[in-house]
Amino acid sequence: MGKYMARRLFQSVLLFLVFITITWFLLYALPGDIVTQKFRTNPNIPPEAAETAIRRLGLDRPILEQFWTYVTGFFRGDFGVSFNQYPRPVTEIIAERLPRTIVLFLTAIVTYYWAGFIAGKYLAWRRGKRGEMAITVGGVGLLTVFYPWFALMAIWLLSAQLGLLPISKFLDPTEWRNAPFSANEVFMRLFWTVAITSALLFSVQYAANKIRDAAPARAIRLGGTVLVIVGFVFYWWGAGGVEIRPFAGDIAEHLVLPVLVLTLVNFAGIMLLTRSSMLETMREDFILTARAKGLPEKAVRDRHAARTALLPVTTSLVLAVATVIDGGIITEFVFSWPGMGEILISSVTSEDIPLAVTAFSFIGVMALVGHFVVDMLYGVLDPRIRVSSSQ
Amino acid sequence: MSRPLLEVDHLVMNYTTEKGDVSAIQDVSFTLNEGESLGLVGESGCGKTSIAMSLLRLVAENARFDSGEIRLDGTDLLSLTDEEMRQRRWNDISMVFQGAMNAWNPVYKVGDQIREAMDLHFHPRLSNAEVEARISKLFELVGLNPAMMNRYPHEFSGGMRQRAIIAMALSCDPKIIIADEPTTALDVIVQDQILQELKKIQADLGMSIIYISHDIAVIAEVTDKIGVMYAGKLVELGSTREVFARPRHPYAFLLLSSTPSVTGPRRKLAPLEGEPPDLLNPPTGCRFHPRCPYATDQCATDEPPMEDAGDGHQVACWNWKEVPELGGLTK
Repeated sequence: MGKYMARRLFQSVLLFLVFITITWFLLYALPGDIVTQKFRTNPNIPPEAAETAIRRLGLDRPILEQFWTYVTGFFRGDFGVSFNQYPRPVTEIIAERLPRTIVLFLTAIVTYYWAGFIAGKYLAWRRGKRGEMAITVGGVGLLTVFYPWFALMAIWLLSAQLGLLPISKFLDPTEWRNAPFSANEVFMRLFWTVAITSALLFSVQYAANKIRDAAPARAIRLGGTVLVIVGFVFYWWGAGGVEIRPFAGDIAEHLVLPVLVLTLVNFAGIMLLTRSSMLETMREDFILTARAKGLPEKAVRDRHAARTALLPVTTSLVLAVATVIDGGIITEFVFSWPGMGEILISSVTSEDIPLAVTAFSFIGVMALVGHFVVDMLYGVLDPRIRVSSSQ
Repeated sequence: MSRPLLEVDHLVMNYTTEKGDVSAIQDVSFTLNEGESLGLVGESGCGKTSIAMSLLRLVAENARFDSGEIRLDGTDLLSLTDEEMRQRRWNDISMVFQGAMNAWNPVYKVGDQIREAMDLHFHPRLSNAEVEARISKLFELVGLNPAMMNRYPHEFSGGMRQRAIIAMALSCDPKIIIADEPTTALDVIVQDQILQELKKIQADLGMSIIYISHDIAVIAEVTDKIGVMYAGKLVELGSTREVFARPRHPYAFLLLSSTPSVTGPRRKLAPLEGEPPDLLNPPTGCRFHPRCPYATDQCATDEPPMEDAGDGHQVACWNWKEVPELGGLTK
């Protein structure tokens, strides 16, 4: 496994180099002379300042040298300086935007994958029963609906008409006027506590599943879950979070609507995938074996059918993770969520090349990380791959 | 040895389909004694596997038991609740599946899949170490290295998987094992090894086995009794020796005549003409009459009952006395 991981990691880095090279040259090959347009003929910048900027941006160097500077800088975490927000470094802009996007879309993906998988599992199991039709038609209807319109309708209904949720943006600026925290600090705190809580909950489930006897397994599952939740509550309502909590709450409230809309629109895809994968698995002989062994239906469904049907669903997760950054452009626009999607559009339209290259590179990084993680997950989930890969 | 363990009594099972009922099992009766092995043979679609699945009550959702009983130790399995039936599966009746390839879930270790059955049914409950010891013992019994229990199914060869399936079938000390085409996917040498293994295990442990196969030669080696099925009906039932030496039913007769004998006298092979009937509209009277060279007018209208042809050899045919001896076709 270790050797396989190392090999995959090396491949990923290599692939990323190819990706960044193509992206960089494509964007720098955009028509129009950036140096002239943005600096020399820009009436807002005095000529001396323009020359200084050009020199400091390295725009007077040969193109290959500029490329080399960018690539080597990239691996040190230095993504150059933005043209339009000069002299602000790109790193700073990305660091501000990335957490917002990741928190929003990871939450949404986890939610709709979970919902879709559960729904698909039940649908397959209760095939032909009442309710299947309703869920399928409803889910597919939501899947095919024109997404921006649906999002606007959700905002109109839930926020504008009923006033249940904030209309847009990721926080309420009036509350934050004298905030002792920056939004990103809160974002990171939210992100890490949620990530750690999820990881702990997952570990509890995993440990409980390893226990053979039903009673202690249930005790561990219940006890562990309660313990983790108590820890979570204690953290936010107790020592660590008293001051930061209202602000975290504000962000969480703003998260609800986009996550809800994304879930409604996307869960049906996962549901149908899980359903067909489950139906295929349920025709396998080993399901008959499991039944013949006298396993309760729930164990046949969850332990045998769903566990095996999880494999293709995991694959589709790759695409979802990879689209965390770029796929959210519409969402970020509709919900005025200033994240990476917004950067992507604005930097390209305004020819802020270093920012655009970096934003694109992050899509590449996410895609590669997603693939890498799913490959590793696959190895864990499917022993057949585990073995062949170690050879 | 002679106590009846399983009695299938006038079992009738139909599959409900959009086109109408498919008559899968029509009035089948047989008895399996303790420690006995019974073979069910017939061509595909004749209802052998339907019977096997009925014994475990694992039939498809559209299956319907219309009459008859399946009594195990006197209890009618068809009258049990789903939960009661679930408790009996593997505990009383276990199964060696056909095509061992897919009978294992690819994502779990073989040992863990055996353990799963034992955790449910084995009494008293065993500790981890005891379970492992038992699986080791079973693996040795079927000729596998006990260390293999920590491997995944894809790391086993076809023959090894089949052996492991047998070990799993034995894990809860069942009274009956149903072996549904236990050797179909295997090559001839492994086939023979597996059958001999099963025969030896049966002799050692004394459980009853029902073999199901389309290959009468395979079954003949290991069974005490053979039942020949045709189109959902049991047409002949007798001791293996009897059925082989003197098949009474025209179908069994033609089936055996169509296979060459390596050691016996040379004879002309008689191919069986026609096709098995459509079970949506089974032929009236005897289901075999459209293909039967001995058919009379009565065969087309009246269903022949099971009749004793001597020595407990039963046959469902109006004209079984007309059927010649197997050697009768000798050149």
